[in-house]
Amino acid sequence: MAHNNIKILPGATVCEDCTLEGDITIGGGTVIHPRVTIIAEGGPIIIAEYCIIEEYSTIIHKKSDKQENPPKPLFIGAHNVFEVGCRLEAPCGHIGESNVFECRSFVGVDIKIGSGCVIGAACHLTAPQTLIDNTVIWGSEHHIREALEKQPSQLLQLDFLSKVMPNYHRLRKPNVHKRQPSRQSQDSSPKP
Amino acid sequence: MAYLTQPDYVKYICSCGQLKPITSLYFCRHCLKIRCGFCICHEVDSHYCANCLENMPSSEARLKKNRCSSCFDCPSCFHTLSTRATLAQPRQAAQDAAAGGDTKVENKQPKKMYYLSCFNCRWTSRDVGIPDQPVASGGWPERTNPFTTRMNQLLDYYKAIAQQEKQEKLERERKKFAIRGKYITLTDKTGLTGAMARNIAGLPSSDGGSSSAIANFVASQASEDVDELPEDIYTKEVNLKQITSMAQRLASPEWQPATVSRLHPLAKLLSVKRSQRCRACDHNLTKPEYNPGSIKFKIELLAYYHVPEVKVISFETIKPGEKSALLIKLTNPTGHEMQVRLLQPEDLPQPEEREEPKSIEKSLEKSLNLEKEPLPETVPDKPSGVRVPASSRVCPPSMTLSLPQRDDAAEYDDDAHHDTDDVILWRKSNKIALRLEVVTESTVASGVPANALLALEYSYRNTVPPPPTAGGTLAGTTPAPRDHTLYTTVLLDLGVVSG
Ligand SMILES: [Zn+2]
Ligand SMILES: [Zn+2]
Ligand SMILES: [Zn+2]
Ligand SMILES: [Zn+2]
Repeated sequence: MAHNNIKILPGATVCEDCTLEGDITIGGGTVIHPRVTIIAEGGPIIIAEYCIIEEYSTIIHKKSDKQENPPKPLFIGAHNVFEVGCRLEAPCGHIGESNVFECRSFVGVDIKIGSGCVIGAACHLTAPQTLIDNTVIWGSEHHIREALEKQPSQLLQLDFLSKVMPNYHRLRKPNVHKRQPSRQSQDSSPKP
Repeated sequence: MAYLTQPDYVKYICSCGQLKPITSLYFCRHCLKIRCGFCICHEVDSHYCANCLENMPSSEARLKKNRCSSCFDCPSCFHTLSTRATLAQPRQAAQDAAAGGDTKVENKQPKKMYYLSCFNCRWTSRDVGIPDQPVASGGWPERTNPFTTRMNQLLDYYKAIAQQEKQEKLERERKKFAIRGKYITLTDKTGLTGAMARNIAGLPSSDGGSSSAIANFVASQASEDVDELPEDIYTKEVNLKQITSMAQRLASPEWQPATVSRLHPLAKLLSVKRSQRCRACDHNLTKPEYNPGSIKFKIELLAYYHVPEVKVISFETIKPGEKSALLIKLTNPTGHEMQVRLLQPEDLPQPEEREEPKSIEKSLEKSLNLEKEPLPETVPDKPSGVRVPASSRVCPPSMTLSLPQRDDAAEYDDDAHHDTDDVILWRKSNKIALRLEVVTESTVASGVPANALLALEYSYRNTVPPPPTAGGTLAGTTPAPRDHTLYTTVLLDLGVVSG
């Protein structure tokens, strides 16, 4: 296992009580609740700005057999919401922005997700597929519809969380002071 | 909870012969009989909206077509829609400001606008282009039914028919009961009603309004002329996300939208509060409180509160020709001590003659002539002469068990009193656990469901003062005793007969 290299940008709220393994970059304004698991075993994970990752969510960048060298990062766009207990397993690739992964949803490998998609509560996506923008999946029968517009952003909620979380949880301090992570900051990251 | 999530292992035989778990049975304290949803009258007490809890009399509900005027269901997934507020800078504001009008000051503030949104499938009223509304409730654009005139014609027609039938029935009744006068009229002789006679003679009928609606009514005609299918029906790629499902189309029968862009919020259907009435004695078995926000009952005669509850604790696998142990628990739910005796089903006394509903006409009216129809597949005989096919027989002990009354405080004592008895396993407050023996015939094939019948004789103290007049009809001329001996039969599910 590669040694941990966690980069937290200023403005991100990351609770100490969560499992972060591998090369992970967390964008400013993103809130990571306690008990979150993010494992970058197959390559780096980059989480953009203003995402909410709720309790017991798991994001894994899985190792794959046909691994490229250097491994491709998993890039998670801005304004994504990962609700309680959801699980995202992606070998590589790109998650768009303003998606909602509802409670206990599961997104397996080989699934490409555009922007503005909603994976409904307890929906399991396992077959290889591509979700075009604004796809909504809901219910035990996995009904699919296409929304007209992206899901509204959660800026108010983010604002509230970033104010409240420090009062109740130990937080990891931002360790990158530049806007973009660079070679230098990677060397100086002191996180365990 | 077990009754909600688990299969019904113990079923009681209702006085109508149906097999039901104790939680879906009622107990009429006036007839002292178990009743079920099948053999009682269901009456609508009030209409209300399950979302906003507004209640309304049935006439108003009928006028609103049994739909709430302020709540909506999602046309996509049928979940209730929620109203969401957004702050919108009105678009005209900018124009007004540019024009320098005096509306400038008012419109400066962002205005609160509302739209409907589904939390389940995230459908919003914006998806189909319904403009946001300035008020939180009401004001949503209503789509007009394209078949309004036809609908009204049909309604008028059926109203007229209903009225005519009512009239005819009244006339028939009058004829039946009228004391025959000296003069025999034409209609008396021929059996014609006045309306029919007038109709035959080609005269305008007396009640002009209703029959003109009937006379002018044109029945629907099936037509062979239908629109051609579009040219590209076989070649155009189908986008299932754009096409509505069958359920979505049928949810709004007036429009039957074929594409999702035509979906429109569905006015929420009203719910009803029901009260239930014993058909034999016309007493209420349940009566809910009128307030839709309350889930309490004014009258709640459930079997669960009056009939000893039987639960299966465990049992040995049922094998053909062998004896198996069966552990059951009996609970006395009443506030009085109860004497219980276990019997073989054939030991039950024969019931008194088949009970007839007291006011059969009235009951019939109320229950939509349910009584006339043959009963569905049930126990073919009356409960006491039961012929439920059971694979096994329970050997009941020949002792009378005494169950103390229910004591809610005793729930907190957890030291069960263990008996050394062969039969009684333990006692605890109003509960008793028994060890019984089940005998299975050697002829029973393996693999079939194993079950056994068990009859209970229990004492029941009726706390209802005997009604002053009903004594004569129900229990003979003597005033009904307050302590009764009642019987019930339960069918125990014992898994599958093993080989
Ligand atoms: Zn009754
Ligand atoms: Zn019944
Ligand atoms: Zn309502
Ligand atoms: Zn919906």
